[in-house]
Amino acid sequence: MRSPIPVLDCHGHIGFHPDFPAYKADAESMLAVMDLMNIEKLAITSTLACYNDCPRGNAEIETVLRRHPDRFLGYVTVNPNPPGQGVEELERWSSFHHPPLIKLHPGLHKYPVHGEHYKPIWDYANEHEAIVLVHTWDSDPNCGPLLFPQIARTHPRARILLGHAGVTWRGYMQAVEAAKVAPNLFLDLAGSQHHRLILERCVDLIGAERILFGSDMPFLEASMTLAHVLTARIPDAGKEQILRHNFLSLLSR
Amino acid sequence: MRDDRKSRTRAEERLVPDGVALSLQEAAAWDLFDVNVRVGPSGVHGELALEPAELLQEMDDFYIRSALVSHWAAEEYDAAIGDEALARIAEPRFTPAWGILPEASFIDALAVCKPLAVRITPGLRQHSFSLGRWCAGPMFEYLQDRSIVSLISRTDITWDEVAALLENFPRLPLVLLDTGYRADRYLFPLLDRFPSLHFDTATYLAHRQLESVVEQRGSGQLLFGSRLPLFTPASAIGVLASARIAEPDKRAIAGDNLRRLLAQAKARTGVQA
Repeated sequence: MRSPIPVLDCHGHIGFHPDFPAYKADAESMLAVMDLMNIEKLAITSTLACYNDCPRGNAEIETVLRRHPDRFLGYVTVNPNPPGQGVEELERWSSFHHPPLIKLHPGLHKYPVHGEHYKPIWDYANEHEAIVLVHTWDSDPNCGPLLFPQIARTHPRARILLGHAGVTWRGYMQAVEAAKVAPNLFLDLAGSQHHRLILERCVDLIGAERILFGSDMPFLEASMTLAHVLTARIPDAGKEQILRHNFLSLLSR
Repeated sequence: MRDDRKSRTRAEERLVPDGVALSLQEAAAWDLFDVNVRVGPSGVHGELALEPAELLQEMDDFYIRSALVSHWAAEEYDAAIGDEALARIAEPRFTPAWGILPEASFIDALAVCKPLAVRITPGLRQHSFSLGRWCAGPMFEYLQDRSIVSLISRTDITWDEVAALLENFPRLPLVLLDTGYRADRYLFPLLDRFPSLHFDTATYLAHRQLESVVEQRGSGQLLFGSRLPLFTPASAIGVLASARIAEPDKRAIAGDNLRRLLAQAKARTGVQA
């Protein structure tokens, strides 16, 4: 199974995970899978940074970007704790991409995305017109989609990708509700629950231009999300937007 | 003369458009037999629930030829009422996965149907019973003796309960559904110990997980499952289609393994093939 157009994937990782064995998770193995499915570029965040250590994790990203500059884009992953480290990391790795790609994981870092310690990071994102990928989950007090309209409105120049779009059917509906009221919010399709009809519903409610393809490779299997998009009952032009053009547009701005 | 265009399924028309095209079409050659499907109205998932004709259309769209089907009512309300609704459907592409309870009277009544498969729902918010011998021993003896394919969702029981069940009934053809992708550290020791244990692919969705388990352990204990009507079958089919494994392994997972299990049940229950 292969995408007929080159895919730009907004949600990937480098590294392992604590709760189950990782398979074929090194950059070269991932490149082989990307070639298999016609994923031209994958934007990666450090899994080490998401779980444990941002400075060391972001250094891993730099290594991969240096080896494969044409195939990977790098998020700078930041933690609101300790306060101040986030902006230091963003400045340290400012060469990764312009505009900056920032990854937040309020779920694993156990701190609310609208909390005080995140404020300097959101201000940085707004000032630099960053693309900010944030892990979200249905109704989660730290990262539920409904927390984002206020953040998006007060940081209108930041482009915020609601990672996993809230995951569940209800989470998706929350993400749609958020995106309806804030034009700088976008839905990322990476996730393990590909509900029947959900993509058609989202396209109907907010338009394909607000939805991006994400795989979560090498955490989740890219082919499940690719197959979902390609078989969705939406116009082909919408599929092309989701698989490529929407992320390209954000990256190019 | 037959109109070839009209004879194509909606999937073929939709998946080969002028612009973005997809090849899940290789699934058409697999004789897909879906182990994880429910039918009928749902009190919880009403928006996604499918009546039999709608389910068949969805299966057509994704090249799924056959399905092991249980009725939502047997799970969400009353096992007997759900089974009656399932019996009324009588669709040849559906093999019933009957609801079952541990009471002797229920098993006696179900035996009349000569079941080949059951979906067991013991959870506290379902039919509330233990899988232990002290509670459901006769039920599992009945299922094991007849090699009846026994589906249980992992979301309804703990891994320790799975292990205990298989220790008590090691020849039971148990199909663990919805294992999730975080399963491997629990699942692999059980697969090693119990050849009768199988699991479905509907939520086994980590990066290269299916491909890797086949490389390391073979394809014999894997069954294709979609989780229809909740999930799009595209995901599970896409994972199988993109797996870099031999074609016989794909076909085994797609349907041959389940057909083998059902053939064993037919042989033990005296049902004509």
